[in-house]
Amino acid sequence: MTQIEFTVIEKIILSLGILITFASFIYEVWRRLRIVFKGKQSFPLDRFGARLWRVFKEVFLHEKVIRGRFWPGFMHALVFWGFIVFGLVTVDHFALGFGHELMNAQTHKLYSYIVIPFSIFVLIGIGSLTYRRFISRPKTLGKISPTSGFVALFISILMITYLLGETGLSPIVWRVNWWIHSLIILAFLFLIPRSKHLHLVLAPINIFFKPFDLPDHTPVNIDLEGSEDELDAMLADLTEMTKNQALDVFSCVECGRCIDVCPANRGGGLLDPKNHFILDLRQPLLDKGNVDVLSEINVEAGWECTTCQACTEVCPVGNQVEKSDEIRRLEVLVEGKVPQEYQKLFMNLQESGNTEGRTDSPLAERLPTYSPDKEYVLWLGCFARYELDPNFTKSVENFANILDVAGITYGVLENEHCSGDPANRLGDKLTYNMLREHNMEQLAHASKVVTLCPHCALNLGKEYAKYSEVNYDVTHHTQVIGQLIEEGRIEVKKGSNGKVTYHDPCNLSRMLDEVDAPRTAINATTDEFFELEESGRNTLCCGAGGGLWWKKETTGRTHLVRAEQVVNSEADTVVTGCNFCYGMMNQGLKPLTPEGRSEIQVKDVADIVSENLVSNSDTK
Amino acid sequence: MKIAVLVKQVPGSDSPLPINSNQSWLDENGISYVMNECDNYALEEALQIKEENDDGEVVVISLGPDRVQKVIREGLAKGADRAIHIQMNSDSIADPLSLATLFADAIRDEKFDLIFSGLQSDDLGMGQTGIIIGEMLGMSTASLAMATELSEGIIKVKRELEAGFFQWVSMSLPASITIQSGLNIPRYPSLKGIMGAKKKEINIVTPGGHDVKQSAKKVYVPQSDKQTVMIEGSVDQIVDKLVEAFRNEIKVI
Repeated sequence: MTQIEFTVIEKIILSLGILITFASFIYEVWRRLRIVFKGKQSFPLDRFGARLWRVFKEVFLHEKVIRGRFWPGFMHALVFWGFIVFGLVTVDHFALGFGHELMNAQTHKLYSYIVIPFSIFVLIGIGSLTYRRFISRPKTLGKISPTSGFVALFISILMITYLLGETGLSPIVWRVNWWIHSLIILAFLFLIPRSKHLHLVLAPINIFFKPFDLPDHTPVNIDLEGSEDELDAMLADLTEMTKNQALDVFSCVECGRCIDVCPANRGGGLLDPKNHFILDLRQPLLDKGNVDVLSEINVEAGWECTTCQACTEVCPVGNQVEKSDEIRRLEVLVEGKVPQEYQKLFMNLQESGNTEGRTDSPLAERLPTYSPDKEYVLWLGCFARYELDPNFTKSVENFANILDVAGITYGVLENEHCSGDPANRLGDKLTYNMLREHNMEQLAHASKVVTLCPHCALNLGKEYAKYSEVNYDVTHHTQVIGQLIEEGRIEVKKGSNGKVTYHDPCNLSRMLDEVDAPRTAINATTDEFFELEESGRNTLCCGAGGGLWWKKETTGRTHLVRAEQVVNSEADTVVTGCNFCYGMMNQGLKPLTPEGRSEIQVKDVADIVSENLVSNSDTK
Repeated sequence: MKIAVLVKQVPGSDSPLPINSNQSWLDENGISYVMNECDNYALEEALQIKEENDDGEVVVISLGPDRVQKVIREGLAKGADRAIHIQMNSDSIADPLSLATLFADAIRDEKFDLIFSGLQSDDLGMGQTGIIIGEMLGMSTASLAMATELSEGIIKVKRELEAGFFQWVSMSLPASITIQSGLNIPRYPSLKGIMGAKKKEINIVTPGGHDVKQSAKKVYVPQSDKQTVMIEGSVDQIVDKLVEAFRNEIKVI
């Protein structure tokens, strides 16, 4: 390595360069953070250790980045790890400019054995990412971004100048090379806060603060007895983002993974979560300098969302992407603009307490009624209760049979109203609160609730708890079945269902975090289980979530995309753990199944287990 | 511009319809009531006219027992300015002339420029009340409105005819117009609307007596039964008898 003394003029230029770019960097970051801090609520600091662990996993190990898209993710990881390794090199580089190297010649030499390979990895990484962005150009990346071009060029120059600097150049060439390297770093510092490359700074912070629970919709408390001022304040509050949400907008790296996984988008809909839920809010935030920008979300796109949380789940920078809740509640509560079919739905919920406006349920009458001496409240939900898919009543009875065989007592509530899921997801928080209060009264003496509907399970449990204390435990029936099998309280034999696959309901997998219990149950009944390509927490929504079951006209194919995957998977039987998924599969599979192929059986976990139950009295 | 909107509370389309013990009408317990569908569109049309002209008053008017205040509140929550509740037990009234008389008496002094009502009610479906009121109050009338256009003292109404045809008629104000479903997109009451509705005035009118010109004798669910007739004989005889039965008894050929 060449030892060079820099002139005073060079040192002044260098100092000014660092000062100016650093100041501009701080200013631009601060300008954004100031807006973030105007957001509602505070940044969560609970479960500190778990948060740190998440940062380690998702930032340093790049777990989500790589899992979501293996090759591009891995290439990005190479660049990122290179960036970490280069941290010390960069500090040393500038220190040298002032004649105070941090590393002596020997340490420098030793460290270069690590840095040189990494600089080559970075070149490979950035090269393939550049190829992807500018030549193969996947649609979700959006328009060609000139800043990405600059960044790729800068990183490449940094690596090359570093490598050249290690080769023993003549003093004059070395000096020029050193200056190029320096200026590029300073230019980088200038570019970062003004572009999506700000994720370098914000993503780790954003991942640290992101909520653990999905979905992270804030509760809307409505006091109909309150004063007009209170109401106005509450309504104004609905347009404001939380700190976390505002930080999301500036952290977005524009990779478009959220678009890739969005069922509405894949079904040919308008919704583009990256733009509609995140980037469309960036400029309004900067222009207004405040967080009351939620009304900027595209309304039509907002109504298309199935609230499946796939976008949030997949986001590599820790964004809570989905914002249909925010725009829908503004449309319903503030604007009063509600699609006609949903007005009918809300009216039914208000008048009769159920989605269908019905008063009688033959299924509920056939099942035992709950009394406090029974262990479980068997919560039916409107789907089963009012036969939204008549075949599903059989699934409920099959679950009841399993409980009978296991000797577990249960009963249905006489006055069960809709859990409120459709009202909650479609933004009618007033109707939601009405239903919630009714149901909380009905469940006042219950200690355990079990339901076949993950939407009900989520609302009765986690969502109600956002409003008031919930004193009962809510379990999904697959969890009960899974546990009964594990504890040997029921015996299940292998049946003949051909190749069996499982469709993870989004409410069960992503929102209730349950992916194992249904698999335990299914695997007890078959040796021919296989996974769909998108499974577990990375499942694809059936298309019925977010109240879309009641949407009459669908322009896209959101409701068919998943069914199509099942058809293409060559499964003989598809098992699911959600009544809505069950209904969607039943509707979608038949028309999609090619002629000549036998019909794919749709079963609930309760069906496949009950059919293969070995009981003392009954060995069917 | 002063606009009256007549709204009726009717059993919801999915509601059970139990018949009362003396078979005179429905048993109201157990029925879930809603706003008559086309009345909802009539209300929306009135609200839109008011908003476009940035001036005027929309008054919701309903007739019936106390329970109808629910649809009145709904109208107020959606943006009507005040309401008139003609309070009476409507059970015994089945004829549009009696109803129209009650409405006309209650609103005569209001001097409305426009009266909008639904084309027909979802329960009785007489489809005449709005038109008769218009006649009684000396107003222009039009039925089956699919669109309205208002200009200086004139209202143009697009009427739905048979077989996909439409007719545009221009009428002078005041006018009473019955509205067909689907001519606009009705709104949902906003939270501010719901809260604001509590403070709005509902003028309760209790009419004296009224003539009943028509009433239901007996309300019952139509009975269906099936009969099985065995046709015997040779093939030709069976065919002849079958054709005979199809032609003269069941009248399907």
